[in-house]
Amino acid sequence: MKKEVLYHKLSEAILNRTAVSLVTFTEAVPELIGKRILLLPETAYGENGVAGDLTSAISEFCSSSFSEQHTSSLDFHWQNNRYRIFHEAFPPPPHLIIAGAGHVGEPVAHLGKMLGFSVTVVDDRSSFANKERFSCADEVCCQSFHSYFQTVPLKTSTYILLLTRGHQFDVLSLQQLLSREERPAYIGMIGSRRRIAGVFEQLRHDFPEETFTHIHTPVGLDIGAETPAEIAVSIFAEILAVKNKKNGEPLSSHIRELAKKGFRKGQKRCGNRK
Amino acid sequence: MINIIHTFLQIKKPAALATIVSTKGSTPRKTGSKMIVTSTGALIGTIGGGCGEGEVIEKALDVIKSGRPVTHTVDLTSGLLYEDGGICGGIMHVFIEPLI
Repeated sequence: MKKEVLYHKLSEAILNRTAVSLVTFTEAVPELIGKRILLLPETAYGENGVAGDLTSAISEFCSSSFSEQHTSSLDFHWQNNRYRIFHEAFPPPPHLIIAGAGHVGEPVAHLGKMLGFSVTVVDDRSSFANKERFSCADEVCCQSFHSYFQTVPLKTSTYILLLTRGHQFDVLSLQQLLSREERPAYIGMIGSRRRIAGVFEQLRHDFPEETFTHIHTPVGLDIGAETPAEIAVSIFAEILAVKNKKNGEPLSSHIRELAKKGFRKGQKRCGNRK
Repeated sequence: MINIIHTFLQIKKPAALATIVSTKGSTPRKTGSKMIVTSTGALIGTIGGGCGEGEVIEKALDVIKSGRPVTHTVDLTSGLLYEDGGICGGIMHVFIEPLI
């Protein structure tokens, strides 16, 4: 298969949210360096010049990296030859669901795309939930929050933002979400203290107290955000912190004291410069 | 990025692709980050900027001329030797290949 065709297949798989990875020979006999093998759940395609049995051997060797969708360089020994290969996984992007297509929804959708999320916008008003307003979104669903959250797949890579126009819509959404067996990675809900109290008050009878501790509300990190764009930044600061398992405090709080001690000039801590 | 690489392969304009294939220590970008360098030195994407990226751009232009892929090691551990702030403190191995 030609390299160009291989990349075409790779783009297709990414678009279809299929697990896929690409193997590159980085150290091998000269004619193999830069050659690629495309790994898909059921098949493997070698680029022209890569023997079929080598493709199969690599596919088998990479099976655990493939299933974990882990990117790394690996040493591979086969038929008395040593190869260095780069296994690059393209895990399906995290899914961001924005419930509520109002003012804040717009910059949130833009920023979500910028940060590599697959973005869905949901609202029951067609004048708000439309492709003209949300041209950047992957999907715009004009339907009730209640019916959308009843069936949408929830995975460990699903991030949900409740940015609806009224607390009754948050209640309807949460009633569905909290009754589901699957759990998303994140649920954030915008609102004032009063609004949040109102929502929880209505849900209290149906769900145990600890259910609410998993909901991020008010949404976002405290950076004094006020405009929709600022709020979007605050929200994503929190989502990224959750996604990357960090606590969102300034990097300077740890590094500054260390940095005062200065650098030890010329000293190398690791590695060998060639 | 994959779509852009695919386009470059189709239009057959001379360019090189640089990919971080492994890192040690603190580096500005992680394994898998990519940058395309065209024959005029124009860039798409970044592998972290600074002098380290500068080295890679130079190597990429060589790769476009020679047509032969290379693995280049960028060493960011030499502390204050870089005057532009390149003091991340790690090493990265960058695979640079012609896009043909």
